[in-house]
Amino acid sequence: MQEHIATLIRLDLLFESIGGIIALMVAYYATKAFNLTGQKRLSDLSTGFLVLAAALFSHVGGTWYFFVRFGIEGELSPELMRLIVVVTAAYHFLRIMAYILFVVSTRHSVRTKQPEMLMLLALPVLIDINLEILTIIILLVVVLQAFMNYAVVRSRYALYVLTGFSMFLLSHVFLILAADNVGTYLLSQAFQLLGFLAFLVMLYKAGRE
Amino acid sequence: MKGKRTYRSKMRILADMMRAIQGEGENGAGPTKILYSANLSHDRLTQYLDELVKKELIILTDSESNSRVYGLTEKGRSFLKEFVRVERISEAFGIEV
Repeated sequence: MQEHIATLIRLDLLFESIGGIIALMVAYYATKAFNLTGQKRLSDLSTGFLVLAAALFSHVGGTWYFFVRFGIEGELSPELMRLIVVVTAAYHFLRIMAYILFVVSTRHSVRTKQPEMLMLLALPVLIDINLEILTIIILLVVVLQAFMNYAVVRSRYALYVLTGFSMFLLSHVFLILAADNVGTYLLSQAFQLLGFLAFLVMLYKAGRE
Repeated sequence: MKGKRTYRSKMRILADMMRAIQGEGENGAGPTKILYSANLSHDRLTQYLDELVKKELIILTDSESNSRVYGLTEKGRSFLKEFVRVERISEAFGIEV
């Protein structure tokens, strides 16, 4: 079980690292577009993806530091627990900041009996239900804006963006449910990765077709 | 959204002019064709054509005859390609450029 959880965490780190790289790519193209057009909202979009990338990489770094490097087993010391809470809060704060920037730029767009499970949930993240609910509400606005944009422009690129943000939303919904199920946590990470892949496909196709 | 557009950024106007030229293929396009395709006033057309020539994005291919003809340069072609990409990405996020 312990090994199984360690594998899940490594997969989690891989998914988030890939997501972070794609977020940086979107930020790069949004900055390029801003430099070319001077459209301020593109700058906000770029900042949003940069902040999202920062959140993902800080999460990867924090998870690696606490659970992979130290291989924490059993009870956590109060100091370490406090540090994890701070890192987790920063992660949530950055994500919420990123989603608020998406809203602005696209506007118009514990309970477990198993200690291993406790470790998994306490570690990569300490899911904060209240912050997750806030995140979901903000993401709902982003998805709604993306949907309205797609309804108007009807381009496949807008559909990729709608898919990407919808996957992020599903990811956060599953993250809340993950308090009950470890497998759901990984599913949440998979949805997040799918969202980033939708953005990657959009970037690729926009330059090819 | 396209129907509601009331403001075009300067960069979009320049891109529309270049698209009009590109649309005419190897023969290039005359000022009248560019004027109508890019929906511009005569004064603005002259001003922006000069700017595009200065930036080496377009070239006056037939200056001898009375009718001037403009063609895209290689730099202009790659600029337009980049702009189209930027335009698609921006549009995908609901951002007008």
